[in-house]
Amino acid sequence: MPSAKKTAHRDLFPGALEMMILQSLRRQPMHGYALVQHIKQQSNDLLQVEEGSLYPALQRMLKESLVKAEWEISATNRRVRTYRITPAGIKHLQREVSRFEQMLDGIALVLSPAKP
Amino acid sequence: MNWFEQLFARCQMYGALSEEIHTHLSEKVEELVASGVPRKEAEYQAKREFGNVTLIEERSREVWMWPRLESILADIKFALRQLRKSPGFTVAAVLTLTLGIGINTAVFSVVHHILLEPLPFPQPSQLQAVWARSDAQGSPRIAASGPDFLDYQDQSRSFSHIAAVLPHFTFTWTGEGEPRLVKCTAITEDFFSVLGIRPYMGRLYTAREYATLENDTILVSYGFWKNQLGGDPHVLGRVIHLQNDPTTIVGVLPPLPDLFPETDVWPEHNTRPSWEFSKWRANKFLTVIGRLKDGVTPAMAQGELTGILRRASGEPPDVQVQLTPLKDDLVGSVRTQLRIIMFSVALVLIVACVNVAALLLARAARRSGEMALRLCLGAAHKRVRQQLVVEGFVLTLLACSPGIFVAWLALHFLPYARGLDFPRLEGVCLNGTALLVTGAVAAVTTLFFGWAPSLMFSALNLASSMRTGRTDTGKSHQRSFSGLVIAEIACSVVLCICAGLLLHSYWRLQHVDLGFEPNRMLKAYLRTNYYTPEGHGFWRDVLQGIATLPGVRAAALADCKPGQGAEIATLVFSDRPNDPNHAPPAQGCWMSSDFFRVSGTPLMQGRFFAPGDDADSAPVVIVNEQAARKYWPGENPIGKKISINYTGPGRTSKSATRMREIVGVVRGMKYGPLELPIEPAVYMPYLQDETSHDMATMSLFVRSVGDPTTLESSIRVRIHAVAPDQPIDDMQTMQDIVSRSMAPRRYSLSLLGAFAALALLLSAIGIYGIVSYTTLQRSREFGIRIAVGATRGSVMSHIFRRGLVLTASGAILGVGMALLLTRILAQLLFDVSPLDPLSFASAVVLLALISIAACLLPAWRASHLDPIRALRSE
Repeated sequence: MPSAKKTAHRDLFPGALEMMILQSLRRQPMHGYALVQHIKQQSNDLLQVEEGSLYPALQRMLKESLVKAEWEISATNRRVRTYRITPAGIKHLQREVSRFEQMLDGIALVLSPAKP
Repeated sequence: MNWFEQLFARCQMYGALSEEIHTHLSEKVEELVASGVPRKEAEYQAKREFGNVTLIEERSREVWMWPRLESILADIKFALRQLRKSPGFTVAAVLTLTLGIGINTAVFSVVHHILLEPLPFPQPSQLQAVWARSDAQGSPRIAASGPDFLDYQDQSRSFSHIAAVLPHFTFTWTGEGEPRLVKCTAITEDFFSVLGIRPYMGRLYTAREYATLENDTILVSYGFWKNQLGGDPHVLGRVIHLQNDPTTIVGVLPPLPDLFPETDVWPEHNTRPSWEFSKWRANKFLTVIGRLKDGVTPAMAQGELTGILRRASGEPPDVQVQLTPLKDDLVGSVRTQLRIIMFSVALVLIVACVNVAALLLARAARRSGEMALRLCLGAAHKRVRQQLVVEGFVLTLLACSPGIFVAWLALHFLPYARGLDFPRLEGVCLNGTALLVTGAVAAVTTLFFGWAPSLMFSALNLASSMRTGRTDTGKSHQRSFSGLVIAEIACSVVLCICAGLLLHSYWRLQHVDLGFEPNRMLKAYLRTNYYTPEGHGFWRDVLQGIATLPGVRAAALADCKPGQGAEIATLVFSDRPNDPNHAPPAQGCWMSSDFFRVSGTPLMQGRFFAPGDDADSAPVVIVNEQAARKYWPGENPIGKKISINYTGPGRTSKSATRMREIVGVVRGMKYGPLELPIEPAVYMPYLQDETSHDMATMSLFVRSVGDPTTLESSIRVRIHAVAPDQPIDDMQTMQDIVSRSMAPRRYSLSLLGAFAALALLLSAIGIYGIVSYTTLQRSREFGIRIAVGATRGSVMSHIFRRGLVLTASGAILGVGMALLLTRILAQLLFDVSPLDPLSFASAVVLLALISIAACLLPAWRASHLDPIRALRSE
């Protein structure tokens, strides 16, 4: 679906937000607000993520069955929709992370000062 | 999850999403409040950090849909709702477009069929018509004589097949009810090979049948078989009496709507042996068509045939053979007419589109508040433009199907248009190409409609629109609005000028001096075998019988037909040397003594014929004033002697012709098309006819006391009392003949007039639209003006000035365009210059009047504004 790709461009860079979401969910299932808080804390507030942009990404992953959602009661006693990573999501995450690391290595090599 | 389940699960999902986002926000607010931020402040902050809730929700939802498609669907739904909400606008716009699209499709279908579609024969581009031209003789289109054709056939190597056609003559069909005339087109041996057609039923002529003059077989046309012979499946072998000879039907031809569609029977024209009249070199009456061999260009064939023709004796030295593609030859006369109609109908479409665009623009201006709001809420310009384009598209789509219906209707009734004798008219139908063109036009208009208003919004100043809450869209769009209306007016002016030129021509033509009095005059065509001295008794009896009928003032015979045609003779003078190669031509006519009294042609000099001018008396001739002026300038022609030589089809002078004394000069009579000048003509008593003829005919002319049509049946009875088998054809009033000869002109005029009227109406709507719109926009200003003492008159004149400025700019532009364009009309004009100031001036005046009328209501409204209300409403 072309639109999914298009909306992805509004992330940090294509796939970055998704990776962070999947990684966070892998540690523990969370609902939307908790996810935002989690990402903010983990990144030491370095990443300025527009909170709302989380939701289109979550819908995208729901659609591709990388996560699944269920209504639960949160610790603060609210009815919240908790997201869990699926086996497909874990596979996707591993693939994305290794691709990301490769890319990072590549960029690092190019950016590093030439060896004497 | 497959797409089908998605479709149903969607609503639930959307609900969950909203709830989720709502929870997110409230959770955030709680947390902020807990950390000591005041609740109000917390709510703002939460929203700020979250982003545009609507947009995010929309984007999240889009994940589940086909966003482009669905947004278009939503736009269509919205557009339909909008259209339903303003039925006045919708009806006006759809009606305008329907007419524009419908008329264009219909006219294009006709033009496509007549001008563009190839002839329905194999390799139609190889088919050529062969004509000669001689500029020295002033003859641009000379037919071929029998010997010319034989020369072409024997000597030319350019054609795979070449044939001659002798159209437009008649046979008498007797023995089955009232004697009838059947229309004949005679053809030579290769005719069917040239076209590459096979008989629908039976066979074609055999070589033996082409080689004998006493042929008793006949081929009939498809139409004749269907309509006159009842589509009889066993028609082959049936015997009908043509020219009193039993003739066997041996074949039925397939329908040939493009070539001589009115033909009933196709007799063969013999070349070897041939009829006497076919042996005279100067007797040019055959239409020659040929099929070029592969690889032979028309130019090569033209050169070859010119060489062949120039070798013959008696041809003018500058004679030149010209090949015309057969299709162009068939449609030549109407090409200009059709092009002009196409051009004017395209102008109407432009006016219609501009008008609808202006309507849309005016509506869009009213909606600029809505648009500004949408843009502020985060709608992309692209998205707004999409909606506007979709609205235009919906409008076009709504107009398309009724447009096609209008086109279909127009084409359906086309064959019933009396006197519209376009070639190839049969078989015109709505075709795919025309529909495609309509589609393309519709697509272009759609883009145009979307594009025009969106221009305006791209210049929209959001902040100021939102702040003032007013629909102030600035000067720029008003300018584009005015531009549209000016373009519309310009097109209308062009159409009005064209219609005016045609109207002026028509008026001139109606008041042309015919040389005869068409009122209360009846004509009937009598084809006979009595046109010999032995037959004179028949004519005498017929004339006597009719002249004594009550209600008949006078009756006469003539072999020429005023308003329709006459044969060409050449003159030999007694008082000067004669050059046989450059014999002066004149229209010749043999007539009974009372003819000029019947026709009402005034005598200028000398005397009319008397009953005493018969076979026993000295031969006499009457000339028309054109002949007198041309051949005896400054002299009295009475008493001069000339002889009349005939070379026309079917008639020739026997041995030496007699010298005739000129006894009278009459006013010139129009024979052919009324727009042509009157040619020199000579008139002789038929009793003194010394020429021989195979196919001469006479027409009966009757001048009545009252309505001539009441005499028809009694005239028939009187003629049949003399000869029961005499066919009587084409009985009609001269008034009808004259008016029919003007029919094509009347069609062009009424079409163009209708288009011009339509364009004017649309322009009036356009002017009204913009003036009332701008007046509405400025109602506050007018309110203030009135409040501080402006008179109603000054407000009105202010508004009129605005309308007139628009009209004047449009008119100047239109007149400029017309100055360049009317030259193409020249062929259709009669006695009127393409730059006729009267037509130009009246078009401009008409438009000025209409624009004043269109401004009247808005001006009145503005001047009667209640200042208090106008100011308060802001």
